[in-house]
Amino acid sequence: MIEARNLHKRFGKKVTAVEDVSFTAEDGVITGLLGPNGAGKTTTMRMLYTLVRPDRGTALVDGVDVVQRPQEARRALGVLPDARGLYPRLTAREHARYYGELHGLSGATLDKRVDELLDLLDMRDIADRRTEGFSQGQRVKVAMARALVHGPRNVLLDEPTNGLDVMSTRSVRTLLRRLKDEGRCVVFSSHVMQEVAALCDRIVVVAHGRVVADGTPDALRASTGKDSLEEAFVATIGTDQGLMQ
Amino acid sequence: MSGLSFSVFRKELKDHLRDRRSVLTSLMWPLIGPVVFMVMFNLLASWYRQDRPLALPVVGREHAPSLMAFLERYGAQLEAAPEDYESRIRAGSLDAVLVVPDDYAESYSAGRTAEVQLVVDSSRQSARQSVLRARRLLEAYAQMLGNQRLYARGVSPDLAIPVRVQEADLSTPERTAAGLLNMVPLFLVIAAFAGGMQVASDVMAGERERGSLEPLLLNPAPRSAVVTGKWLATVVMAIAAVLITLVAYMLVVRRVPLEDLGVKARFDAPAALGMAAAVLPLALAASAVQVWVSTYARSFKEAQTYLSLLMVVPMLPGMVLALSPLQPKMWMFAVPVLGQEVLAGEVMRGEPLGALPFLIAGASSILLTVLSLAVTARLLSQERIVFGRG
Repeated sequence: MIEARNLHKRFGKKVTAVEDVSFTAEDGVITGLLGPNGAGKTTTMRMLYTLVRPDRGTALVDGVDVVQRPQEARRALGVLPDARGLYPRLTAREHARYYGELHGLSGATLDKRVDELLDLLDMRDIADRRTEGFSQGQRVKVAMARALVHGPRNVLLDEPTNGLDVMSTRSVRTLLRRLKDEGRCVVFSSHVMQEVAALCDRIVVVAHGRVVADGTPDALRASTGKDSLEEAFVATIGTDQGLMQ
Repeated sequence: MSGLSFSVFRKELKDHLRDRRSVLTSLMWPLIGPVVFMVMFNLLASWYRQDRPLALPVVGREHAPSLMAFLERYGAQLEAAPEDYESRIRAGSLDAVLVVPDDYAESYSAGRTAEVQLVVDSSRQSARQSVLRARRLLEAYAQMLGNQRLYARGVSPDLAIPVRVQEADLSTPERTAAGLLNMVPLFLVIAAFAGGMQVASDVMAGERERGSLEPLLLNPAPRSAVVTGKWLATVVMAIAAVLITLVAYMLVVRRVPLEDLGVKARFDAPAALGMAAAVLPLALAASAVQVWVSTYARSFKEAQTYLSLLMVVPMLPGMVLALSPLQPKMWMFAVPVLGQEVLAGEVMRGEPLGALPFLIAGASSILLTVLSLAVTARLLSQERIVFGRG
């Protein structure tokens, strides 16, 4: 479970990236962080996964404070960050193994875990190829494999389907549903409404660094009095800029 | 070393060793020193070698038969000078030409001072030895004749020599060769920097540029373990470069005619061990500083530029030391780079040093290493470093 509590972050004196963001993402639920570009989604995610220190507020990952005990919080998190660069001279399997080792796995446990992941992500055929020249879809799979190698209870994904084709998008969705069915807490950010609508049990709409709406898709429709989600979003954000694809 | 640093270290080394081209670059660099050394030494030796007969082209040979007989008796090979001897001397294909003027015989018979001309190009290092030998022979002939004339008049030749100058030449071949040898410490120190340069650029600046730094730091490994692993991979390459340089020098020195030049330099196994003990601690510090600098760079290319500039640091004191070796003082050993260059130089010249200078130099390097690694680990918790500066 992830709880964000009044997260606030400024860069320099002028730019306020995140004004005040609070929400709770439950286990066994896919929570979507939806907002136009520049709304503060990535900064919020970075504060959740401990690489950016909030100026005010904090977040708890399974009860662990990300500001006080970042290293412990990272143990409970699996993250597909904004930057998902790979090592071109290492194979897909070596990527997963490296990250597994950094999470303290070794020996037979690590081998078994990596094999499971390669099956889960359907990447047996590319497992022992160097990642140089991989397609976007294959690259995301490798990034997923290394993010999930330690079996995290909480999974954070920053725009996971960005730049993917239809088939790859579908397999990412399948994976997220599966993680949810396993009882994990899944949070992903997106600026694409359809993406969020197709996948999320709960939607947190972020605009100008604040949470402007938070609830199930049905609750959102009801509260805005609009029939379609699309119009509900436009009503909550006040503009449709950057939301449509 | 924690298991985590070792994982990082193993990954970085594996990753780097798969990049054949940059490995070759790192390891070829150190070979430049020994190769230059071999070429220069062989060249020097060929200039100074005494067993070669002195070839002396002569113009107007027929005017001075007794001089010619004297020269031949003392080993000179006389030959007729070509027409264009002046331009040949300038071009370096002739070392010196002896010109005997037409009025030589006349002046000689009359007991006056007869003149001969030795045509040379004094700017040619390679001709110096031949010119010197030719001049000595001519002076010896002049002195012999002068003595005979004085004897004939019942005068002791010693009266004509109130002061005799005995030249004790400390320069020439030995000194020049020693100057070349003084480059060895410099190249060893440069190798400590050159070896790790590629890895250092890649593990930090390269990591961020390809967008893999952010995911890497999401692991629960402490920053210090990540930095230590990356530093160790750099150190391995730096040490490899230093050892390759050292071994190459040992091999080259065996093939170089050091004796011909009368050089006293120790290049046996204990000396090599001593030089390794002097320079290897610097490999730790150089790598740590390189990793630190690379963390600041915005891109791999920028890191390489900074690290190339960093290589100038050992060159400055190294050049000064190579040209005019300093009397070593204790404080010098405490200055990284300078300390190693002085130390390696002293070992090479076979000076007894004792353990203290090694300890001082090693301790200062280790201090610099710890400091750089600590600063780098702190940098990795700064957002502007992790996400790049806008």
